[in-house]
Amino acid sequence: MIEQQEIATARVGDRREFSVPDVNRSHFVQYAGAGGDFNPIHHDQNFAVGAGLPTVFGMGMFTAGVLARVPSQWFGPQNVARFAVRFTSRLWPGDTLTCRGTIARVYDVDGLTHIDIILEALSQKGETLIEVEATVRPWQPS
Amino acid sequence: MAAIRPEGFPVERGKIHEFANSLFDDHPLHHDLPLANAAGFRSVVAPITYASAASFFAEDGGMRLPEGVDLRFVLHGGQEFVFERPLIAGDLLTPTPGELRTYEKAGRRGGTMKFIETETVYQDEASEVVVRVRSTIIQTGGVVEG
Repeated sequence: MIEQQEIATARVGDRREFSVPDVNRSHFVQYAGAGGDFNPIHHDQNFAVGAGLPTVFGMGMFTAGVLARVPSQWFGPQNVARFAVRFTSRLWPGDTLTCRGTIARVYDVDGLTHIDIILEALSQKGETLIEVEATVRPWQPS
Repeated sequence: MAAIRPEGFPVERGKIHEFANSLFDDHPLHHDLPLANAAGFRSVVAPITYASAASFFAEDGGMRLPEGVDLRFVLHGGQEFVFERPLIAGDLLTPTPGELRTYEKAGRRGGTMKFIETETVYQDEASEVVVRVRSTIIQTGGVVEG
């Protein structure tokens, strides 16, 4: 769990990171049940091999969802205004998933502090799996 | 698939708990109703990417692709969420197709890649926009890169 920080105290260059070791296909199946992506390429070994792949691979949105914990736990899930994902590579069973975020910009809109965070998810090989730009601003329930 | 009544995507507390757990996300606003209430929320808050579940909920995937797109040669290039407010358990979201934009770029290994950007706008029962979900599909012209 990343310790939550007040938005107003954020500084450019602040960084948070965590890793999930040994991601396996049960994680993909659990995410499929929770999120509804039942594309067999993510759980069916025969289907994946038939498509010319060594095995199943994780949904891009699974990796994106794990990476979303960085801004969400850092500043609170209700305060994330934008989360833009670019998929670049695949997550395989057995991979260690490292998620990190760095504050790129702190600025003011109508008296409210806004933060842009650059995020990336990497495999243990150092390969970038996805890149994300997120914007955080304070949001209060009315 | 049987149709759900009333139509739409119901944002549900148990499903939020399950979705967050599948992403190893233990933030208490996703799991702890009394804590969410104490923070001023009617119920628990959905994780950031939760709206992606809505696209699998609709029969048509909630996605509108132009005619002539060959699904054998497409890649999911990106997905963007733009929030007017967080999704809260108890919301009933209705998708409407937003803008559809296509453009071309030269591929890294020759040929052209066609980019298709679709947008789905989710509104609550008061017809207020909650979140816009934009998806980028890349058509590779027969060569699947990456």
